[in-house]
Amino acid sequence: MKIPPGVRDWLPQEFAFKRDVEERIREVFRCWSYSEVLTPTFEVYEALERGLGERLMQQTFRFSDPLGQSLALRTEMTTPIARVVSARLRQAPLPLRLSYIATAFRYEEPQLGRMREFTQAGAELIGGTGTSADAEALFMAIETLDAVGLGDARFDINDAAIVDGVLASVGLSGDAAEACKQFVAERNLVALRDFGERNAVDPQTFEILVQLTMTRGRDDVVRLVRPICATEHSRAALARLEEILKRADAFGWRERINIDFALLRDLRYYTGFVFEGYIGDLGFSLCGGGRYDQLLPRFGYDVPAVGWMVGVERILLAL
Amino acid sequence: MSERLVIALPKGALYEETRKCLAKAGIEVPADVGRRLQVLAGDGRTELLVLRSSDVPAYVEFGAADCGIVGKDTLWETDRSVSELADLGFGQCRLVVAARRSDGYHDGARYPTFLRVATKFKRSAQAYFAERDVACEIIALHGSVELAPLVGLADAIVDLVATGRTLREHDLVVVDEVGRSSARFVVNPVRFRAKYRAIIDVLERLQRD
Repeated sequence: MKIPPGVRDWLPQEFAFKRDVEERIREVFRCWSYSEVLTPTFEVYEALERGLGERLMQQTFRFSDPLGQSLALRTEMTTPIARVVSARLRQAPLPLRLSYIATAFRYEEPQLGRMREFTQAGAELIGGTGTSADAEALFMAIETLDAVGLGDARFDINDAAIVDGVLASVGLSGDAAEACKQFVAERNLVALRDFGERNAVDPQTFEILVQLTMTRGRDDVVRLVRPICATEHSRAALARLEEILKRADAFGWRERINIDFALLRDLRYYTGFVFEGYIGDLGFSLCGGGRYDQLLPRFGYDVPAVGWMVGVERILLAL
Repeated sequence: MSERLVIALPKGALYEETRKCLAKAGIEVPADVGRRLQVLAGDGRTELLVLRSSDVPAYVEFGAADCGIVGKDTLWETDRSVSELADLGFGQCRLVVAARRSDGYHDGARYPTFLRVATKFKRSAQAYFAERDVACEIIALHGSVELAPLVGLADAIVDLVATGRTLREHDLVVVDEVGRSSARFVVNPVRFRAKYRAIIDVLERLQRD
């Protein structure tokens, strides 16, 4: 008997290894006072739809129950947790620290580091605001990768408000700004330059945006970017990133964290601070996360949140 | 620059110009790699993978190569997420819809209700006709696409044109342009970060005149 593409069996030795990694992760979650939760493997499609970007919606396994109700396998855990919190944990004092280690499902071309069934471990800090909450998510991710033996993992951070501020200073707004942002996120400099030409943006001004897309570093790049941030909002975001770098310093993590102004992750989901962790040997990121202040309000509970997740199988590939 | 870069290069039509472009950037590549697939460049630290053009995006997306050089026409045909850092300017060609002169589509004659299109560029062709709401059947071929309309296999073709000679030789004419292609410098999004300095360095050298 065959198994379908994109799923796998775990035989005793490899499964023991996976469980060991998961236990190490769980221990870090405990140390940071996060309580583990679990939500159903499948849910009503409409509930999951509220949290998902277009890409994840296309990758959702959907099916009907015998009564015709439209159901879907979870593609990640943040949306189900947002649903649970807004439906059942409204009385809980904030901030709420929840963690999970669970499988998720996505319909995509199976390949190295990308399976149709995979395990995610993650943490959500619900009701957490400000730099401290953002730093907590990032620092926890660093400690988690350290705990599983990936002390050489590096992290890039950013805040979506910065590219918004630069777009404003270039004089772009609305659909044009959204289109440019997408090219920045893909780091598609060819499309970005082409956009500038077609829309007759002053080339010198537009070059600022191209440069931003290529700029990555530590405090040095903050000084470069500050003068081109046109909005109060974007300057505040820049100051928050500086603050996070400063705090990371105290843990001796300075060399492991860079600001990458083109790091935007899922544009529909994240509303501010974002980060990704990776090691040089793998061509894909290991973990990532950020602030998603608009997700819980979609479930009728108006609280901000920040969270992150790591792919357990990706850790195994990296070890 | 201590970091060692792995660059994926396309065999075939783009190879010679890719080689010249890299040489200008200080990366000497042998004119003929023979049957070797992995070659060390003249600088002794850049590793080159010589691949079938359509495989370059996969190698880069996986991180088997840090970056690569590939035609935009190949990128159109794939979902692979790679970052396009530069248009290198060479290997210019157009992807066009072409048909028999006698059918008059280039002169405004209407397409048949159900158009049959032969192409090596299935995705690009599909997207082009879907956008224009033309019902069509895509016939995926692997070579000599220009033969298809002559023998009645298809009403039109979608194919690359550099000089237009092949079309003329077969009495085909351009009906419309689907897109303009040229060689691109692409990079793995994570390696862009992991090997930032080395990649920026190569990018700058590739772009200098």
